[in-house]
This record gives sequence, C-alpha cells and structure tokens, in this order.
Amino acid sequence: MKTIAANIGRLAFGAVAAAVATTAPASADEAAETFVAGILDEANAVFAAADQAARDAGVEALVDKYVDVERVARFTLGQYARQATPEQMAVYMPLFRKYATSVYSSTLDEYTGEKLAVEDSIDRTERDFIVNSKVVGAKPGSQYADLVVHWRVYRAQDGKQSVVDAGASGVWLAIEQQSTFKSVIANNGGGAAGIDALIADLKAKVGG
Amino acid sequence: MVRNGFKRVVLAGAAWASSLCAAAAQGVAGDQPDTPVAQSEIDAALSTSASPDVADPWEGFNRKMFSAHLFLDGNLLVPAAKAYRATTPKKGRRGIRRFLANIRAPGVFVNDILQGEFGRAGETLGRFVVNSTIGAGGFADPAAQLGIPAHGEDFGQTLAVWGVGSGPYLFLPLVGPSTSRDGFGKIVQIGMDPLFYVRTPPADIARYTRAGVGGISAREQFLDPLAEIEAKSLDYYASFRSFYTQARKREIANGKVDYSDLPDIGEFEEFDDLK
Repeated sequence: MKTIAANIGRLAFGAVAAAVATTAPASADEAAETFVAGILDEANAVFAAADQAARDAGVEALVDKYVDVERVARFTLGQYARQATPEQMAVYMPLFRKYATSVYSSTLDEYTGEKLAVEDSIDRTERDFIVNSKVVGAKPGSQYADLVVHWRVYRAQDGKQSVVDAGASGVWLAIEQQSTFKSVIANNGGGAAGIDALIADLKAKVGG
Repeated sequence: MVRNGFKRVVLAGAAWASSLCAAAAQGVAGDQPDTPVAQSEIDAALSTSASPDVADPWEGFNRKMFSAHLFLDGNLLVPAAKAYRATTPKKGRRGIRRFLANIRAPGVFVNDILQGEFGRAGETLGRFVVNSTIGAGGFADPAAQLGIPAHGEDFGQTLAVWGVGSGPYLFLPLVGPSTSRDGFGKIVQIGMDPLFYVRTPPADIARYTRAGVGGISAREQFLDPLAEIEAKSLDYYASFRSFYTQARKREIANGKVDYSDLPDIGEFEEFDDLK
C-alpha cells in the first residue's frame, strides 16, 4: 500500500518536473533579463535613498537612460498618432516625457526601501519581451508577497534594448495611458481638436 | 436623464440575464451560432492580463454614476476611511482585513468548485480551517506562513470561466466598477454567503456591520493609491476603467498570464522614418 502511494507520488512528481522542464526555459530571454537586472541594480540604489527629491531625480535619470519615451509616447496616442501634425508631435513629445517620468516616480515610490530582482522572462516576439521581477525577501502574506513587477523590453533592429512599459500584477502603465489619452481625445471631438485638448490637459498636469 | 439611463441599464441587464439563462439551458459551450463571440471572449479573458480597451457603450451613464460615486466617496467613504486610519493601529487594520477575507472563504470555496479548480478549493478550505482556529478566528494568517497563499474568487469570475463574455463596463455608485457579467455575479454572490440565510436580528446586525466595516476597510487600503491615480490622471474615469479591466482579467485567469494579446508597443513602421 505504502509503495503504491510512493510510486504514485513519484509519478506525479515526475510529471510535474517534466512539465516544468519543458515549459520554463522555452520562453525565456537571457539578454532581456540581463538588461532589466542591470536597470534594477541601479533602481534599487535609487529606492534606498531616503530623500524624495533624490529618488525623483534618480528615477528621471533612469527613465532618460533606459525608457524609449518617444516610442511609448507614440503608442499612447493609439490611432491618433497618425493624425497628429508634426507641430503637435513636437509639443506632445516633451510633455509626455515629463508626464511619464512623474508617473514612474510616483509609481516606483511604493518600492522605497525595497529591492527588486528578476524572476523570469517571456518572449512575445523576437523583438518584444516581458521580464518579471519580484520584491526580494517579501514576507508571506505581506503586500509584496504575490506582487510581480513587469518590464516590457523592446529590442530594436540594431539590437539596442529599451524599456517601453512597466506594470505590476498584470496592470500596465502605458496601456492605461493609451486608454486614457484616447478617451480624452475622443471626448474632445477627436482628430486635431482632440489632440490639442490632450496637449492642453498634459500641460496643465505637468506645468510645462 | 439619469433615471432613463438607469432604466436602460436595468432593461439591458434583464435582457442579458435572460439570454444567459437560455445559454445555460442549452449547455455551456457548443456550436450555436451565437457562441463564437463568447468563446473568443473567454479565450481572451483566460489568456491575458490586459487588453487596451473595454467595451463601454454605457459611457455616458457610467460617467454620471462615477461623478455621483466621487461625491459620495469624497463626503462619506474617504472621511470615514481616514477616521478609521487615524483611530486604529496598522496591525489592527490588517487583522480586520484578514478576518473579513476569512469569512468570505465559503463563497470563494463554492466558486473554486464551480470552476473545477479543486486544488485551489483545497487551499481555500485549508486556509479557512487553519486561520479560523490557530489564526485567532481569522485575524491572523498563519496559513500564508505555511505556504498556502490567499486567493479570491467570485461568481463573476466563475461565469467568465464558464464562457460568459464580460459584457459592457458598468460603474455604480458605492458598488464600484464592474461589467454586466460581474455585476450579475455580485448579486448571485450575495446568495453564496452563509450569513445571508440566517434571518435573526443579531445576524442582521452582523451583516450590516460587516458591510460597513468591509467598505471602510477596503477604502482605507486604497486611500493612497487612488488619490495618486486621481492626481496623475488626465481623465480619472478612463484611468479607473483601464486599471480595473486590466486587474480583473488577471484575476479571472488566476494570475496565469501568457501576455499574448498585449498590444504591440514597439512596432511602428513609420516610426523609424520619423527619426
């Protein structure tokens, strides 16, 4: 009786191990993980700073260094990116950079005093990766225990990698921004007028 | 105006509910001409964490309800939540949250079973037994320390697993964000609460107390994140909708996400020409 149970246990364990072995490495991307691990090393130093202004400056430097803000800015306009005039884009881009930086700052402020480490990664396409990270040493049952912080990495044709979105537990910032911006544009008549309204709102928000 | 809008929603909800019953009578899945939509929606719901947009045909109504909610929120819930925060210790509030979560366990268990998630049902049952006993009636969470993490389930999620599409986004004052499916799920969920069937004055008091404390406890937890989202957002209604929809999809998929239907962010054919 005991041996049967043990055998079933071994079988079940073998099946699980086989499933893990076949699924886990297939979808990982080492270069993207290394890229994000490097960013997290710098970010963890920023989170350790006690002073809010120092943290904000640190996040801004990280955004400038690693986030492809222009790509994200274009994405957040959705279908309206094609309708925007070059003049509108010229005003929109720096405003969005300021806005995105402030959003990253306030979002990442939650991790003050914590450390993030890369867990795994998923390749959506050969150019598009998601790298997942977790809070190091999160206590079971704490707010950080089940929290996954995602980083969306884009690899350009020349191999240069950049961050294009970040999120936590399935909720992404740029996706929310696109949804909100499209809503602002659509509710202000769409097209050029709507984009102008979005620019005015962004200006009011970031004081640019 | 608002009243008409509400009537429309109620009518639409009723129509939707009866179509659901019809679908249930036919059996859940199948090759009926109207099932492909539901099937594609369940695939989407099960396979992904985020889609850029949620259907919001009732946006005008929802925005009015959202304004009404913000008025009640600012004048009732937020002051109550702040007072609660000011008068109770952090660990005490965490205990209250755990207690409230623990008494929701029977409802979670039923939905685990209905979804065929027997492993998770076992976790829910195990957590309930452990936390109700050595967890001081649910105020502590020794089960998490034993490696059984908490998870939530509700009837809206069960419907999603059964293949019911989310339906349009729906926002109701004090009830909060949902969809036609999840709003219906919330109503059914009331019947999955054991206390619902105890009709004595003490049970009534317990129910109302739980509802009040639950609302304030939940609001207290989100005081800072929501204030932050509101401060940063260009359109609080739209931000709220997007955050809710993204989080809900992951919840329905039990945190298992394959990321395949995230929108492309990097690829713009015209982008490199612009540079």
